[in-house]
Amino acid sequence: MTAEEVAAKVGGKVEVPAEGAVASSVYVGDLLSDVMGHAGEDCALVTIQNHLNTVAVCTLVGCSVVVICHSRPVPPDMAEGAAREGVAIVATPMSQYEAALALSELPPSKH
Amino acid sequence: MKFDLHIHSCLSPCANLEMSPSEIVGRAVAAGMGGIALTDHQSARNTPAIAECARRAGLKCLYGLEVCTAEEVHTLALFDTTEQALAMTDWVYAAMPKRVNDPDVFGDQPVVTWDDDIVEMEWRILAMACRKPIPEVSAKCHELGGLYIAAHIDRSAFSVYSQLGGVPADGSFDAVELSRTADESVWLPKADGYAVTRSSDAHNLDDVARVWTEADVPEFTTSALKSAFAARATRISPRLTRF
Repeated sequence: MTAEEVAAKVGGKVEVPAEGAVASSVYVGDLLSDVMGHAGEDCALVTIQNHLNTVAVCTLVGCSVVVICHSRPVPPDMAEGAAREGVAIVATPMSQYEAALALSELPPSKH
Repeated sequence: MKFDLHIHSCLSPCANLEMSPSEIVGRAVAAGMGGIALTDHQSARNTPAIAECARRAGLKCLYGLEVCTAEEVHTLALFDTTEQALAMTDWVYAAMPKRVNDPDVFGDQPVVTWDDDIVEMEWRILAMACRKPIPEVSAKCHELGGLYIAAHIDRSAFSVYSQLGGVPADGSFDAVELSRTADESVWLPKADGYAVTRSSDAHNLDDVARVWTEADVPEFTTSALKSAFAARATRISPRLTRF
């Protein structure tokens, strides 16, 4: 699923596009240490953590689509880091649970 | 005495590489600080360097680290000696993920000498949390004789409010810190009766000592600060409303 398709599913908007960014599974997590330990490659990360460290963790686990919930703003340093690292950022008004339900055709992410 | 208890050096991956211990000390002296604390993310490995810089400049210094706990809350552990701070660092390191830092992703992490030579690049990812929760970090910090402060409680990430919904009432902290922009009319009531500090959390030189905490302490030591905290006898500088 492309970032644009993810955005359509969660009723949101691609805030930062990234060429070739796709999600083939989903992980939901707001503790970055948990994300680092459990999220797998090519997942969409559903989270409220709207800051630069989220992009860095995505780079480590090989995740290229981040879904930021509750319409939290994407700060400039996060947008720049995401663009640099090829991580797409989608913003949605949904909660984490709602976003997960909206993406339920994708399987759970395996580490 | 005015002091800035939260300053990062170049060792912190997110700090500007211009943050050498000697430059930090120079800025703090110029700003009229009576004391500072060096608090890099998860590590006190640049405290020996700043100790020498501070000694040469006649500036009082505490040695610490900003511990990112298992709850992903940023907390300051401050000590009187580099030995205590480095012992705390060893304990935190043992609870860190064994992953190697990629400087292109997180930033460089140079350990430096007092006169700005690079000793080595820290290999751990200092931007990551450790596996120890706040009560355990607090207990270790206090066992080593340190002060434990909840950092920037007003921030929307990495604070007791963002991660836990408030300041833990279990006595883990000796004080709570407001960030440089925190509105005291909003945040002083949320300090829940704790002593309040305000520090710069400087990641670049221009931010060193832009805000500060003040207290009538006979000396700049953890025990004197602990007494001031216990008496709720700290005053904080006005917040910054523009950058």
